[in-house]
Amino acid sequence: MFPFARFVFFCALGMLLINACGITPTADLPPGDQLEMTTSTPMVSSDASVAGKLVIYSGRSEPLILPVVEAFQAKYPAVEVLLKTGSNSELANALIEEQSNPQADVFISTELFTIQALAQQGALQPYLPMGADKLLAGFSAPDQTWVGLTRRARVILYNTQRVDPQDLPASIFDLTDPKWKGQVASAGSTNGSMQAQIAAMRQLLGEAATEAWLRGLIENKVTFFGGHTDVRKAVGAGEFKLGLVNHYYYHLQQAEGSPVGVIFPDQGEGQIGLITNATAAGIVRGAPNLAAARALLDFLVSREGQKLFAELNYEYPLLEGVELHPAVQPLEDLRLAQFDMAQSIANFQATFDLIEKVGLP
Amino acid sequence: MHLDALANLKPKGRETHRLPLLSLATLVALLAATPLVYIGLRALSADAAAWQRLLQARLWLLFRNTILLTAAVTASSSIIGVGLAWLTERSNLPAKSAFRLLLALPLAIPAYIGAIIHLNLMRPRGGVIPKLLENALGITMPAWNPLGFWGATFILTIFTYPYIYLLSAAAFRALNATIEEAARVFGRTPKQTFWFVVLPALRPGLTAGMLLVALDVMAEYGTVALLRYETFTSAIFVQLTGRYDHSAAAVLSGALVALASVILLAELRTYGKGRFTQVESQWRPARAIALGKWHAPALGFVIGVVTASLLIPVTALVVWSMQTLLEVETSASIFRPGVQGFAAHLWNSLWSAGLAAILAAVFSLPVAMASIRSPSRFTRLLLRICQVGYALPGVVIALSLLYIVNRYASFLYATPLVVVLAYVLRHLPQSVRGSEAAFAQIAPSLEEAAYTLGRNSRQTFLRVTLPLAFPGVLAGAALVFLTSLKELPATLLLRPAGFDTLAVRAWIWAGDGFYQQAAPAALALVILAGIPLSFLLRKEELIP
Repeated sequence: MFPFARFVFFCALGMLLINACGITPTADLPPGDQLEMTTSTPMVSSDASVAGKLVIYSGRSEPLILPVVEAFQAKYPAVEVLLKTGSNSELANALIEEQSNPQADVFISTELFTIQALAQQGALQPYLPMGADKLLAGFSAPDQTWVGLTRRARVILYNTQRVDPQDLPASIFDLTDPKWKGQVASAGSTNGSMQAQIAAMRQLLGEAATEAWLRGLIENKVTFFGGHTDVRKAVGAGEFKLGLVNHYYYHLQQAEGSPVGVIFPDQGEGQIGLITNATAAGIVRGAPNLAAARALLDFLVSREGQKLFAELNYEYPLLEGVELHPAVQPLEDLRLAQFDMAQSIANFQATFDLIEKVGLP
Repeated sequence: MHLDALANLKPKGRETHRLPLLSLATLVALLAATPLVYIGLRALSADAAAWQRLLQARLWLLFRNTILLTAAVTASSSIIGVGLAWLTERSNLPAKSAFRLLLALPLAIPAYIGAIIHLNLMRPRGGVIPKLLENALGITMPAWNPLGFWGATFILTIFTYPYIYLLSAAAFRALNATIEEAARVFGRTPKQTFWFVVLPALRPGLTAGMLLVALDVMAEYGTVALLRYETFTSAIFVQLTGRYDHSAAAVLSGALVALASVILLAELRTYGKGRFTQVESQWRPARAIALGKWHAPALGFVIGVVTASLLIPVTALVVWSMQTLLEVETSASIFRPGVQGFAAHLWNSLWSAGLAAILAAVFSLPVAMASIRSPSRFTRLLLRICQVGYALPGVVIALSLLYIVNRYASFLYATPLVVVLAYVLRHLPQSVRGSEAAFAQIAPSLEEAAYTLGRNSRQTFLRVTLPLAFPGVLAGAALVFLTSLKELPATLLLRPAGFDTLAVRAWIWAGDGFYQQAAPAALALVILAGIPLSFLLRKEELIP
């Protein structure tokens, strides 16, 4: 066993010396992959003028962005897409850090606050994607530094085997009710959608009421996960009765055959209404691969791209005429929370301070 | 006359290579100290408001949490490590040589991967085991929650005890039986002999092992983040990724490094000191002590540790990997070609950790040589400076490199080389210790013989010194390779787009809740880490 281990070890070191001599910044492909790329047959409607690399920083988690990226790559086989996923704020931090030395071409965010904050810092450059005029109004930056992609709603997911239909909560404020103590799961404070919800609530209800709600969640022993996939799986498995998630996590969990239901909260008179948010994309100022970045944005708001978001991930497309997934409840039937996006954006730092103050995990 | 010539030759030959050697060693020490100096300056220059806010709200809680966890893990892994070492070295436990190997192997499993597995298996209600019991037997398990302080203590203990186990086992084996026999002859009971003779002899190695475990726990990010127990590292990570102002992260890093430095200084005091001298020629192994009625509990204890720290994680990874491979769609999404594919992740892990190991070994040479061949207060200082990596957790290295590289070496920024540099800075102490030990064992007379035979200093180094020191230097490099493979937080923060290692992959997939997809990457990581580990264990003759 030992001579074999030593053999493997030295082989590895030898290969790596060879590799290190030919280092190029971001491309360290094993030889097999380069072969793969030259032999793959180009798809129809490819644009030969767009080639080279494309670096995407995506706040959308990998499973929620890869299918779209793959469809884009099929269309532009000469583009090599490099994807880095993380939390919105983590990637935004990197973009700010890199302003004098830009690395990324496109930033994709799961909410509008972070991307607007970036635009205000001058980290993005304006671009109006092809067909952007047909997008639903009000979800793009006036100065065209970013464009909205899809909408999602903040809903309550529940396990149908563990919750009596009579008992269902009707409002996000019911989550602080002691009768759900220890039975609720949510994403934590590092999650963009959760941050955006808190920012929206600060706008709708003020600082004090939002703080009380957050403290109520913590007191009620809500379990905060890093992301929503853990939340939906935990509720699907019956580990928790309720979960605070984006609406498509209900559909994703149901598609796995779990006994789950969905509640669109706060629909009654005098209640705040359904909180929605939008995902967005923008081109980084000084993007090294501008042509590919523009092609990606065009693709994301095209009928084809919007259909992928709607069909694969049950999101609300922003392009007119793209149909919702049949299982998804149209937003037109629901009472939506009305808040001033611009003001929420301006107060985003205050949202972080509030999260810190209450010690949200 | 002949002798005079010899005497003249010796200092001349050494003088010629002393200055370049010293300057090289100084350069390495400067490189090693850069992050520390940087963090110190940043933390001190952070505005008073940041300090004030943190002092009021968080700092004490983080101190308390970090110290509590460090103390708990160090204590429990010491007890388990020494206990296991005694059982496999001194008792009549069956299958001792097999257990020696099995008890050392958990070093190949990163603690955060162990945490992912145990969390997934044990989570109350949702976990695999509670669900299985509920379905099969109709029993609802009492909810043992692996989250929080106790969970983090448990996980970190079962994955760090091998450090202490290996050091104690080596000490038990080196201890001459005659010393214990002498104690028995003078009327001490076996128990008294253990407490007053054996344990003091273990002390130097044990103390060093405990302090290394303590430093390791302080630097741990993945496990505490996953099990939601907030320590300095996880708080720094949140500040670094969540906030646009990094001054709080710098303050927290400063506090953490100060805490770790205290432990490192204590460790440096014990390091290389207080060895118990024995007369080699009279050495013979101690007689095995019969366990008697304790036989079954002892065996159960050893098997329990092996099960929790090795069998369960490896079995879970193998089963999940098989499930992934059998699902056509999932396996196609993992084993795709290109930079998002499995082969690329494997390759990235291999070459970044390998390059870090080589660089660390090369950097360690001048420092180790200088401290052995021209020992002085200055070279000892250089040697100590090169140990600061132990006190710099991955998140802190990442924070400092993020700034330093972007400001002063922007061409390096967002290349995999920054990740490699982080590995080197963090793990340099391991290779420096390996090389130092190797050079210390070479008699100066061998080099002097080469000089008298007309070789210059370069030839002497290449033909005599390096070949003799090579196994020791390689052992240090292997340790750097092993720990770099397992490194998570610095890689997460510094990796460029498209550069994912196995560790990052396993972490991201598991973080998104896709445990099955994470399994092949985690399994490959554990197998890869097993290669340098088996080399190290054999070199130290810990396994046959």
